[in-house]
Amino acid sequence: MKRLFRALFAAGSSRAVPPVVIGFFFLLYIGIAFFTDETLITLMTFTRKSLILAVLLALIPLNSVFRLVRETIRFLRMRSALSGKTKEGVEEMFDEVVEIAVSATAPALESRLAAVGYKTRRSGNVIAAWQGISSFPVRLFFLAGTFCLFTGILITTTSRSSLRKMVVEGDPFPTQNGSGGTVERITLANSTGPILSRTLTMEVAPTDSGSRKRIFGLYPPSRHDGAFIYPRYLGLALYLRFTAPDMPAGYEAPSFLNIYPPGKEENVVIPGSPYRVVFNIPEPESGSERYISYMSGDITFRFKLLKGKDVLFTGSVPGGGEFVRDGFRLVLPDVRRLVVTDFIKDNGVLFIWWSALFFGAAGVLWLPIRGLFPRREMLFRFDQGVTTACSFADGGARKHAGVFHEMLDMIDAKRVETPVI
Amino acid sequence: MVAVKLIPHILSWAGIVLVLLRGFPGRRSVVTLTSISGFVIGVTGTFILFRSYPGTIPFGIVKSALGVSFLFLWGISVAVIYRSTGRGVSIFRGERLVNTSLCAGVVACLASMVAGAVCACRLPATDSTALTFILLALAAGALAYTLAYAALAFDKLLSPSYTVTLTGMLVAVVALLLCSSSSVLRLDLFSPLSMKVMKGVHDFVHQFMESILIPDHLFVRSYVWNYIGLLFGKEVGFWGGMVIWFTPAFLIALAIRFERLPSVAHIRQGAQRRTLLAAAIAKRRYRLVIPVLSVAVFAAAAYQSRFPSVEYWDPKPLPVTASPAGEIFIPKKGEIDLEDGKLHKYLFKQGGREARFFVLMTPEGRLTVDLDACAICKPDGYGQAEGSVICYYCKTLIPLDTVGKPGGCNPVPVAFTEKSDGVVIDGMALINSWGSTVQATARVKEGGK
Amino acid sequence: MVSAIIETSGLTRNYGDICALKPIDLIVPEGEWLSVMGHSGSGKSTLMNLVGGLDRPSNGSLRVGGEDLLALSEDGLARFRREFVGIIFQQHHLVPYLTAVENVMLAQYFHSVPDEAEARSALERVGLGHRLKNRPGELSGGEQQRVCIARAIINSPKLLLGDEPTGNLDHKSTVMVMELLKELRAEERFTVIMVTHNQEVAAWGDRTIYLDDGVLVREERMKS
Repeated sequence: MKRLFRALFAAGSSRAVPPVVIGFFFLLYIGIAFFTDETLITLMTFTRKSLILAVLLALIPLNSVFRLVRETIRFLRMRSALSGKTKEGVEEMFDEVVEIAVSATAPALESRLAAVGYKTRRSGNVIAAWQGISSFPVRLFFLAGTFCLFTGILITTTSRSSLRKMVVEGDPFPTQNGSGGTVERITLANSTGPILSRTLTMEVAPTDSGSRKRIFGLYPPSRHDGAFIYPRYLGLALYLRFTAPDMPAGYEAPSFLNIYPPGKEENVVIPGSPYRVVFNIPEPESGSERYISYMSGDITFRFKLLKGKDVLFTGSVPGGGEFVRDGFRLVLPDVRRLVVTDFIKDNGVLFIWWSALFFGAAGVLWLPIRGLFPRREMLFRFDQGVTTACSFADGGARKHAGVFHEMLDMIDAKRVETPVI
Repeated sequence: MVAVKLIPHILSWAGIVLVLLRGFPGRRSVVTLTSISGFVIGVTGTFILFRSYPGTIPFGIVKSALGVSFLFLWGISVAVIYRSTGRGVSIFRGERLVNTSLCAGVVACLASMVAGAVCACRLPATDSTALTFILLALAAGALAYTLAYAALAFDKLLSPSYTVTLTGMLVAVVALLLCSSSSVLRLDLFSPLSMKVMKGVHDFVHQFMESILIPDHLFVRSYVWNYIGLLFGKEVGFWGGMVIWFTPAFLIALAIRFERLPSVAHIRQGAQRRTLLAAAIAKRRYRLVIPVLSVAVFAAAAYQSRFPSVEYWDPKPLPVTASPAGEIFIPKKGEIDLEDGKLHKYLFKQGGREARFFVLMTPEGRLTVDLDACAICKPDGYGQAEGSVICYYCKTLIPLDTVGKPGGCNPVPVAFTEKSDGVVIDGMALINSWGSTVQATARVKEGGK
Repeated sequence: MVSAIIETSGLTRNYGDICALKPIDLIVPEGEWLSVMGHSGSGKSTLMNLVGGLDRPSNGSLRVGGEDLLALSEDGLARFRREFVGIIFQQHHLVPYLTAVENVMLAQYFHSVPDEAEARSALERVGLGHRLKNRPGELSGGEQQRVCIARAIINSPKLLLGDEPTGNLDHKSTVMVMELLKELRAEERFTVIMVTHNQEVAAWGDRTIYLDDGVLVREERMKS
């Protein structure tokens, strides 16, 4: 059982796992590309539906955890070896191991190592010397980042659910059980930030059931009932009354128009009639804010009235106003802002955000550590007239090797003075 | 003329043989013999394939073989970089197996078969008689024999210190195969790769932004969005393609560069230690020569693909008008013969809007009317060459047989009525189709979601 | 029995009509310190250049360390010089803008690859551990010559050639340099051929040969 566990751990923590899994998905992607243009979507759908693919993808985060454990054990063992506590299996952790049939003079070795910039520690029959900073923290961040990224991708791919709803000023905030508070205000404003040019806030009033007042912004998106509130597009909700000479009873109903940016056209089809009203918001004068109408609430629609394919006439109608011509009447008594919003249930997003932080930290740490303070280690153990010397270098290996050789030469020079019999 | 066209392909194959001889220094006779046999099999086999299945199938098979060899190279390059940079990474322990005569023979035979197949794709279409076939086999055999022994003689002249690693050999063989094939439009891999990368990057960025809930462009500063928009352009396809194209060669070169030097700590004389290290470093440098040269060969392949020496048939669009009923009539015979198998381009203007389209008779004898634009790319239009039309924007080749079918980078088909004396197209439908296509592709180009 | 490191037979060097070295037969056993004396123009330096592979003879045979130098190509001769010979000149020929340790590393570079720790160690052996980062201009004549010795021995040569190495030094520095060479020879067991005008310097050797007008005229074994 123990052997099986060890074998599984060795396979699971192998560095070959991520490239093999990624390579497999890459091949699958290429294969899919022969049959469809929507390759990535198809691959994601396959992964969502196939347990085998999901398990395969899960091997990468699993491997990160295994490697994290393995590298932590190695780091702790190395520390223990350098302090002389661990003696078994020490050699495997180093790049080079040499045995010389002579015992060194420890103080001379220590002072020499100190003279060339190595910190030393003598404990019993072991002298450890090291220089630079270990890259272990960087690996820790990198592996944590890999774990989060692929866990995030796995969760997102297999379990994301998205529901698109209209958040309308004055209406209840759409929730799954319908008990959201009233959307008090939707505000679009200019921003001075380096990335976002505009800010959007949706203020939701407290409810009788005890939920407090909530304000939903753009980024990072807030959560409500376990779903991320992801504002997508701006639009307008309007109440429309329409009468025509051949339909004196008229028609009236609320409509939701996904009508921004200005110039974009949206249809309102008058049911049971050949009429269709095509609305758009005119572009503001050049130089002025494009979304000024949405920001200020002072909205004037441009519209075309079509009967079948024929355009009967065009005109403008302000929010709260009306348009009358040739027996046709178009009234917009109530116009309110709306935000087309996706309610996304996906915990993978959190993992992906965390992975960005971990990778960032790993990158920021790696560059100076590897470039300026690469870790170099030496260990000399003296046992019954034999010196075992071990060396390890993360970077600057040639320079480190020079010092290591010099130490070995120093130890060996003693053989000439005091031959070992 | 055919002989001149064949020269670069044959030289590429000779280069492959030379590299194989260097890569398997103890297996010269096996490599020489299997290379010659492989080349002859490749040439004659593909020749038979073309006669049995005229059209796109043989090209597809050869192109697939090239694609598989490139993917294989990718896999190997990732494995070797992992092995050389990581401590205690042992991915493949079968070096002894690789150095056998069997492996040398199989590698030489497969590489030569593909090289021979590429050569055969350049041969003109002739009637398939037993005599033609025998003559072809004899000519291929004689040529292969001469060149293989020239390569063998050249190999003997080279200093033994110019050693080639197995991975170096592999990268050089694949580079030479791709360089050879990139001059045949229908075997070229780089342009379709760029196209797929463009689409892949677009999809990936889109999915990524959706995944981490990035606000839409209306909330983002335009300069930031312009940077994101760069990821949706043709250049990303090209540069992404370049990265994928060159990475295996670079990884293999890096893997050689990162190989650990031998441990000399057991030697107690400094000069001796340094001599051994210097010899190991020099050996490593020699082993780098072939992968670095392969980068240049890959570059030559990409260049040939990017700037093919083929002249496209690309007539100037002729203006056409619609009848009062809104119908455009294009006669089959007249100044232009619609049924001559060539691309005929037209320009239709109406009320300040316009549409460019073409009429083409496919090799199957089917007339097709299509927009001079596809549903994916910027409408740079199409040119015609070697049994296919090419999208000027993404350089994708569309076989003539599939023109008239929708999807991918195919020209968008237009509904029309074929009459005995010409074709009739609805002007309004044409204009609307062009408008919606161009609007959609412009949105993609500008990076909208 | 000690084997010969240098064997010459009828070794001759002509420069046009001038015969700088008339046929010389010479055997130098491994590990010997041979001093070569003679007046200016007697052929001392010519002999040293020939056995060091710096020049090619006009005639005769020349074997050094088992290698027939006449049979070696230019590349072979360069390898021989690199791996077999260390040379100390009267003029130190140190690169003025490099430090002492860098000057020694330069010799390592031309031999194989530089190794700073080893170069530092070599300078410490010649007593210059405190002058590692000094440039030649900041060192005394004796110190400069000791850098040259470190440079000459860094590649563990079998044959160390000295061409008037103490010619520019005062008596005290001369003794110091010679003592250093003696110590190093005892440790490294290389063969020394020392060309000198100075009888006192020649006396540090095991044997002295005298050249006159390109002819080996006399030989004298020193008492140990």
